[in-house]
Amino acid sequence: MSTPSQTALPAMPKRVMGLYDKPFWDHIQQRKLSLQCCGKCNTFQYPPGPICSACTSEDLNWVELSGKATIISWVVFQRTYLPAYPAPYNVITVKLDEGPIFVSNLEGPTPEGSWIGARVSLVYAEMAEGQLLPRFKLA
Amino acid sequence: MGIRRAAAVVGIGQTDWLGDYEKTKKGERPADSYGYGARAFVNALRDAGIDRSEIDGLIVGPTTAYERMGEILGLETRWGGQADAVQAMMQAVMAIETGMAKVVALVYGNNQRSGGTQYGGPDASGAASFLSYVYHAPWGLTSQGALYAMMLRAYMHERGFTERDMGQVAVAQRGWSSMNPDAVMQERVSIDDYLASRYVCEPLHLLDYCLINDGGVALIVAEASIAKRMSSHPVFIEALGRSDLNKGATILEPRLTNFYLPAQQQCAEQVFNAAGIGPQDIDVAQIYDSFSVHVPLALEGYGYCAVGEVAKFMAEQGIGPGGKLPVNTSGGHLSDSYMQGWNHQIESVKQIRGTAGKRQVENCRFVHYSSDVAGKCSSIIYGR
Repeated sequence: MSTPSQTALPAMPKRVMGLYDKPFWDHIQQRKLSLQCCGKCNTFQYPPGPICSACTSEDLNWVELSGKATIISWVVFQRTYLPAYPAPYNVITVKLDEGPIFVSNLEGPTPEGSWIGARVSLVYAEMAEGQLLPRFKLA
Repeated sequence: MGIRRAAAVVGIGQTDWLGDYEKTKKGERPADSYGYGARAFVNALRDAGIDRSEIDGLIVGPTTAYERMGEILGLETRWGGQADAVQAMMQAVMAIETGMAKVVALVYGNNQRSGGTQYGGPDASGAASFLSYVYHAPWGLTSQGALYAMMLRAYMHERGFTERDMGQVAVAQRGWSSMNPDAVMQERVSIDDYLASRYVCEPLHLLDYCLINDGGVALIVAEASIAKRMSSHPVFIEALGRSDLNKGATILEPRLTNFYLPAQQQCAEQVFNAAGIGPQDIDVAQIYDSFSVHVPLALEGYGYCAVGEVAKFMAEQGIGPGGKLPVNTSGGHLSDSYMQGWNHQIESVKQIRGTAGKRQVENCRFVHYSSDVAGKCSSIIYGR
């Protein structure tokens, strides 16, 4: 993957930053992947929200995850939509070991043949202005 | 089901989307969204042969405001609102059934090509309703096509479906549009053309994507007894169905884990039971096809073939000209026009009226329209 400048880090594309999204990104800056977990039914949820969608409880706590996951699908963009992502680049969907599906990118080597079922683990990519982005690499 | 044959389409209209496509390619702006809607409305009114004063309801598409469109069209309505194609038809029938309106105009106009509407990138259209369109932007996933590419990849893995299987949809629909003089793309393509076409978001090829073109569509829907008086060839709404998948929508859970199958199956049960017919009675299927992948999912979901058998069904039974189940006979969004489900409605009416020209399916009695936009699995069955 070529970048226009070797020194400049890519700017983070615009994030959805609602009231419940901010703690997620604050945790990421501390190199912690945390999601809301319901104190009543123990279900993790993503994206974060005002109540537990599984049981409607408001007893939600931010809990750090293992960062381990399995790829369930992937695509390769051959068209550029965002300055931070010159084509070609991949996007993966993973099933986190704690339950939720998470959209991210696979850094480093990619599997031969199908990527589905490959085990991956969390890494942090540095974007412009020191912002961190959770990504995955093959475990 | 109270709504059965409660209302019928008495008029249809469209704009010159092929002519306007040529103009917009040259940088011209033939109309704005209201202008395309207005042109289609005038054509639908003429087709119905009724006076504007008979219309007491108006539903507009998502790209225009109800209030301003009502002002432009000069309609003093008793009831109305804004909806996508399938919900517009459902709401019109419900309004008629509840007595809120008797004759409803459904009007859609979209200047998406000349106006530069973005369906991918940071300002992607529809993001306010569908969080999945923008939520994953930090990781570069922001085009609607990419969501379907992600879905197709998982589906291919799960079912042993191949790119060559997927290509059957684009080839079949271009076969239909080659017989549609109004279609934007009329040149036939082969499976080899499909496989050689570039990827946009792999595994989706360019030919799996809908067109982006300007245009408008309008329909006039009337209460059944009024429709019979107004028209010698009303096309009845036989039945409606809907089932939605909301849980996990932003993280693509229904797309990636069940391919909308449970909702389509529930919707199928509702709509076919209400109409008193089954998939074997359907003469033409119209399937919302912003991307080709909608088609195999609907064919399995609505029971046109067994789950896991769709590649074989498309290859052996056929969905193109001469096939057992004609699908998207105008060419659909891939080849006719991307009128966001609205052109499928008027094509359904044309097939039942028997006015679809060279692509007319013989003795067409029932047409099934299906859309599954973002997990809202919806159906309309049209009949004579």
